[in-house]
Amino acid sequence: MTPANLPNIADLPRGHEIPAAHFRLGADDVRCYLEAVEDHSNAYGQGPEGPAYVPPLAVAALALRAILEQVALPAGALHAGQEVEFRRPVPVGASLRSRARVAQRSEMRGAVVSVIEFEVGEDGSATPAVVGRATVVAPRGEAPS
Amino acid sequence: MSVEGVPEVPPLSRRVTQEGIWRYAEASGDYNPIHVDEEYARATPFGGTIAHGMLVLAYLSEMMAAAFGHDWLAGGRLKVRFRAPARPGDALTARAEPRRARLPACRTGGPDGQARQVNRERVFEYGIECCNQKGETLVSGTAEVIVVRSR
Repeated sequence: MTPANLPNIADLPRGHEIPAAHFRLGADDVRCYLEAVEDHSNAYGQGPEGPAYVPPLAVAALALRAILEQVALPAGALHAGQEVEFRRPVPVGASLRSRARVAQRSEMRGAVVSVIEFEVGEDGSATPAVVGRATVVAPRGEAPS
Repeated sequence: MSVEGVPEVPPLSRRVTQEGIWRYAEASGDYNPIHVDEEYARATPFGGTIAHGMLVLAYLSEMMAAAFGHDWLAGGRLKVRFRAPARPGDALTARAEPRRARLPACRTGGPDGQARQVNRERVFEYGIECCNQKGETLVSGTAEVIVVRSR
């Protein structure tokens, strides 16, 4: 559960920067992800301990997780849309840094529509490997779940 | 429907289970109770647990990765709306419909070698969707992939 002392996503203004997060997806993490999504394809190359590259949507999922560790979703919030662009393969075991910000915020019929832009890149790299935009619709004025 | 110059992408089928939703929660760290707490979820307008949107999106990404391999990892793009939830017991089918092939809008220009690389690239566009066993569209949108043609 998300701690209640985190800011409610519906209260974050446009332009709000969500603090950077660091994470790493090792061979065990990738195996766990591939089992969870039942992905048995050979699309991710062959490394010494399994796939050579991280499934790109796993990178995006971890970026969203990093956001949810710093922002509370109120009860009834919906993930309404998702854009994601894979610019470079991410090697298994790479140290990653994600950044996110509220790119858009609007209100409609008692709900707040927030578009969160995020990017994930390898530590030390100036350009991101994965970028995305998540659209979240959240009721206004609800207590965080 | 086939579109000249755009490769067909084989569809992909998956069955949603609560156990699979739990595995995805563990892998992604997203333990929102709407996904994993059946008692909580029963009291919501959904009337029960639903799969993570990113889990369903993973099926679409897998379908494209299986078709394009490394090109998908280095130049894939998805843009979708989550229209309805996937529930435990649903049999899902992910599909991609070829739309068109085009040249990339712009890649970083540069010396001669990079210009030649650009000339070998094509963007393939698809309409994508994931439907349940009732034919309801749960996720729909577009996928693009930049493919580097071998000589």
